[in-house]
Amino acid sequence: MIKKLMFILLLGCITQGCATIKAYEKININDPDMELNAYICERFETTFQVYREAAAGANGGKLGGGCGCN
Amino acid sequence: MASVGQAQDSLLTYKKKVLENTEVDMLMSYYEQTGTHAAVSGGIGNEALTNYTPTIVVKMPLSADEVLTADVGISAYTSASSSNGNPFNKTGASGGGYNDDDDDDDDDGDYTNGANTAPSGSPWVASSGASYKDVLTSIALNYARSSEDRNTIWNTRLSTSFEYDYESFGIGAGVSKLLADKNAELSLKAQVYLDRWKPITPTEIHEFLQFGDTFLTNDRSYFWNVSVIDAQGVPSTAYRPLAVDYDRVDRNTYSASFLFSQILSSFAQVALFADFVQQEGLLSNPLQRVYFSDRPNYFIGEANQIPFYDTTQNTAVFQLADDVERLPNSRTKIPVGARLHLYLSERLVVRSYFRHYWDDWGISSNTLQLELPIKLGLNWKITPTYRFYNQTAADYFAPFDQHLSTQSFYTSDYDLSAFDSRQWGLGVSYTDLFTAKRIWKAGLKSADIRYQRYSRSDGLRASIVSTAIKFILD
Repeated sequence: MIKKLMFILLLGCITQGCATIKAYEKININDPDMELNAYICERFETTFQVYREAAAGANGGKLGGGCGCN
Repeated sequence: MASVGQAQDSLLTYKKKVLENTEVDMLMSYYEQTGTHAAVSGGIGNEALTNYTPTIVVKMPLSADEVLTADVGISAYTSASSSNGNPFNKTGASGGGYNDDDDDDDDDGDYTNGANTAPSGSPWVASSGASYKDVLTSIALNYARSSEDRNTIWNTRLSTSFEYDYESFGIGAGVSKLLADKNAELSLKAQVYLDRWKPITPTEIHEFLQFGDTFLTNDRSYFWNVSVIDAQGVPSTAYRPLAVDYDRVDRNTYSASFLFSQILSSFAQVALFADFVQQEGLLSNPLQRVYFSDRPNYFIGEANQIPFYDTTQNTAVFQLADDVERLPNSRTKIPVGARLHLYLSERLVVRSYFRHYWDDWGISSNTLQLELPIKLGLNWKITPTYRFYNQTAADYFAPFDQHLSTQSFYTSDYDLSAFDSRQWGLGVSYTDLFTAKRIWKAGLKSADIRYQRYSRSDGLRASIVSTAIKFILD
């Protein structure tokens, strides 16, 4: 149920908000904290999570290869 | 007219570089954990582990359009669990076991050579063997090229890593396309890892595979002259594991990754991630023991500690494995995730992340993470974080001594069990856009330190401190 609600919320955000923002309007979007990737320090946390948890991927990090991890 | 033409030519040839200066990131983390479900001793035992990972990432502009990134790091770890690949403090040939005399020479009540000369070990005590520590070295090179209009980026990646029992070679390529006046991005990436185990099995399994049924009596075996006892403490020569050798040691991973991101408004943007991963080969860990409930138990060490074998009171007896972890030689994984970032004010951003994961080993999981970077003035920022994770168990998981010998696949690795975890922490960051602080030709751009505490419902606890310092070179 929670997964369905999150999917609908996300779809609503995307379909409703597909605006075209001009470059001069992107001052907030260009804030470093708004970048759509993990902070550089998080790579080590992602690594231990890949070892200690079964799930991996969908975050730009390890997908299971390159190590004897799960 | 000629001077106007020359001015127009110089304007046409100007192109902003993708990367102006070389950037150097110096990274470090220290990780430690404790737990009571060591996989090497079949799901019980000391899981204490420490890990240092010094890493350097250098991003260099090769031209106005090209960037080369080199990523080199080492991971130096110690592990109480891995150390118990060989948990015994001596070999049979080094003086363990029984002598041939009829006399009790040292009057200690048994007929061994000297006081307590038999090998012993415990899943709760780290062994001093070679597998107690290791170093993983990893090297990756990434080449990226942007189109003239900067709307298309191609990249390719080579990587390698190696440690004592594992080596990896990876290659990948991808393309990113910026759309709708750079308001949206679509990325596709493919990655292949061609890895190889150099299998290290637990000592009793290794000796059985090498010497066969005579491994307890062969004078070249580790267990020559060592007394193996049953669950009642009576010496026995009946112990036989079910282990068979590996017919393949490769471990290959093939993946396709998809990313779509979209600016929703002047203060919100979202990204969707999806991966498809196929793994084939030796997907189990050769060092991790498994015990079967339908087979008798055999031990080496002090018989009087068998009754409390699975508690920390046990310091001197170790149960011999029935086999090692066996898992299917293929696995399909499909994680899908999303990021939603909201710029609430010049001081506060909300970063949220959600992922759902599924694989064909029976595991499904959910991840939810929130980060709240809070700016304290121009240079400083603190970032409280929280992460929740849950997963179902793999179809092949069972706790210590609960598998049956009739099963085809089995593991007692609690990383594949059902659990939930919580992680929380705080990051502190310093940023100087003008790189006023300098060391020779390197200007300090930013410095970050981040502490996280991790707690898993099966009792595993971990902490990690990570640091990152970025320099810009002239």
